[in-house]
Amino acid sequence: MKKWFGLALGIVTATGGFLDAGTVATSGEAGAKYGLGLIWAILVATVAVILLVEMSGRFAAVSKKAYASAIREEFGFKFYLLPLLSELIAESLLLAAEIGGIAIALSLFTGISWHYLFPVAALLVWIMAWRAPFSLIENGPALLGLLTLSFVVAIVALGGLPKELLPTLWKPEIKSGELADYLYLVAAILGATISPYLLYFYSSGAREEKWTEGSLLLNRVTAIVGMGFGSLGSIALVVLGAIVLQPLNISSSTLGELGLAMAKPFGQIGAFLFAAALFATCLGAALEVVLAVSYNIAQGFGWEWGENKKPVEAPRFNLVLLLFLLIAVGIGLLGMDPLQLALLASTVIALFLPFSLSPLLVIMNDQDYLGNKTNGRFINIAMIVILIIAFLVAIVSLPLEILSGGG
Amino acid sequence: MAAITRALRFIHKDAGSIIFLLLVLLVTIAGCRLTQSAFTRTAGNAGSAFAAASTTLTYVHEGKISKAYAASSFVNYTSELDGLDQTLPSQTGVPDAGTLQRLLNLYKPAMEVIHSPCLDESCDWRAQVAALDSASKAFLEVSNS
Repeated sequence: MKKWFGLALGIVTATGGFLDAGTVATSGEAGAKYGLGLIWAILVATVAVILLVEMSGRFAAVSKKAYASAIREEFGFKFYLLPLLSELIAESLLLAAEIGGIAIALSLFTGISWHYLFPVAALLVWIMAWRAPFSLIENGPALLGLLTLSFVVAIVALGGLPKELLPTLWKPEIKSGELADYLYLVAAILGATISPYLLYFYSSGAREEKWTEGSLLLNRVTAIVGMGFGSLGSIALVVLGAIVLQPLNISSSTLGELGLAMAKPFGQIGAFLFAAALFATCLGAALEVVLAVSYNIAQGFGWEWGENKKPVEAPRFNLVLLLFLLIAVGIGLLGMDPLQLALLASTVIALFLPFSLSPLLVIMNDQDYLGNKTNGRFINIAMIVILIIAFLVAIVSLPLEILSGGG
Repeated sequence: MAAITRALRFIHKDAGSIIFLLLVLLVTIAGCRLTQSAFTRTAGNAGSAFAAASTTLTYVHEGKISKAYAASSFVNYTSELDGLDQTLPSQTGVPDAGTLQRLLNLYKPAMEVIHSPCLDESCDWRAQVAALDSASKAFLEVSNS
């Protein structure tokens, strides 16, 4: 029975990995601008992320190795540097956005400008990542992440989905000149959801919890329930944006605007629930990102690693953690709005997805690691198709957005 | 495994063709007015931000959000809207001088509200909401025209 509490790993991976500053930003903006017309992208991303999380958990449980160490072992050190580099570029932007998201959440509670709270948020992330045991990192944000269920309750309280919105599900209203914007949001949704750091975090978490082949059912349930939970929260934000913000001509271009959608049915409690959910999701994501990068580097370079170890027992792992956090703080202090940073990070991630995820496809088909637990044909084809879609959309939309002054 | 290796070889062999096709696709769709002009985009964003500010101010006086929440939101609106009067005139797709001047005339009082919103009853918050609504409407109209 105890091992089923391991579901928390899935919930926290979803809380931080599925729902984060990027997902909240893209979901709110998607609903406010295009009604339900981008829910398809969330569903595609959900399928992809369920497959990815299931694969990385299965790999760790069967091979007893984490993803990064397997990349280096299978492809050599030089090749390993390619996904590492793409990870470092994309995730440093994302970590800065997540810390900014925490600062904005704190700002919504206190009224103090998020610029002043940014260092406080970074300090909070560092303290938790530095000293908190893995179980606290799992359970704390996971429990708080349940607040995202309030998004669903808000939709019910608002009277449910209006019938006139339904056609936007399959026929979004894209005005002349807005197609690049729409595609950019598709790329951002895919990149915000299919984040490679999930693989490093989840497979390392499975090793921290000493999963075995006996954990495969738990792994599958965790992937589906955890990511399904995250997807539900994300779709609920789209619907809230469409129901409340779109009629008011609000495009959800700052994170606090989504709280107005929660305030409409619930008043101040709704706004606070939104701020608390934003805090939980961004904190969970920030911890996952900073740990994922530290896991990645420590495993790739063959260093001692582990969140349950004291810093002195895994010094280089903890040093990387601190340095990466400092890089993200440096990016954040340049002053770019966290929401725009999150959108940019998500699109950059979509662009790098083939580099980050193609090694997984190869490893997951290697019987030396997985015996008879290798991927089936359906999973391979589904992943290749999704990767190609994400890459194409990103390569098309990113330059167009930048040329037209967006992004 | 063999299938993946074949696929990777195919991608490697035809990488040049794939990149060429992507560039052709990019140039083609870029020529199909997939993007808005910088002015249209900025005006649309400004209109939305003024609308959000108006709703925020209304909600705080209806007790739907706290003063702290509103104050934090206005910091973000300030970041988004400050300096538009300087950048708008030089952007691509700028409309005629009369339309631009009308927008700038509405921008100024609306920005005064953004910088000093009435979050309590000591000042005329309804007049502030009206100023924000006027600016929002004008910017959105120009953006959609």
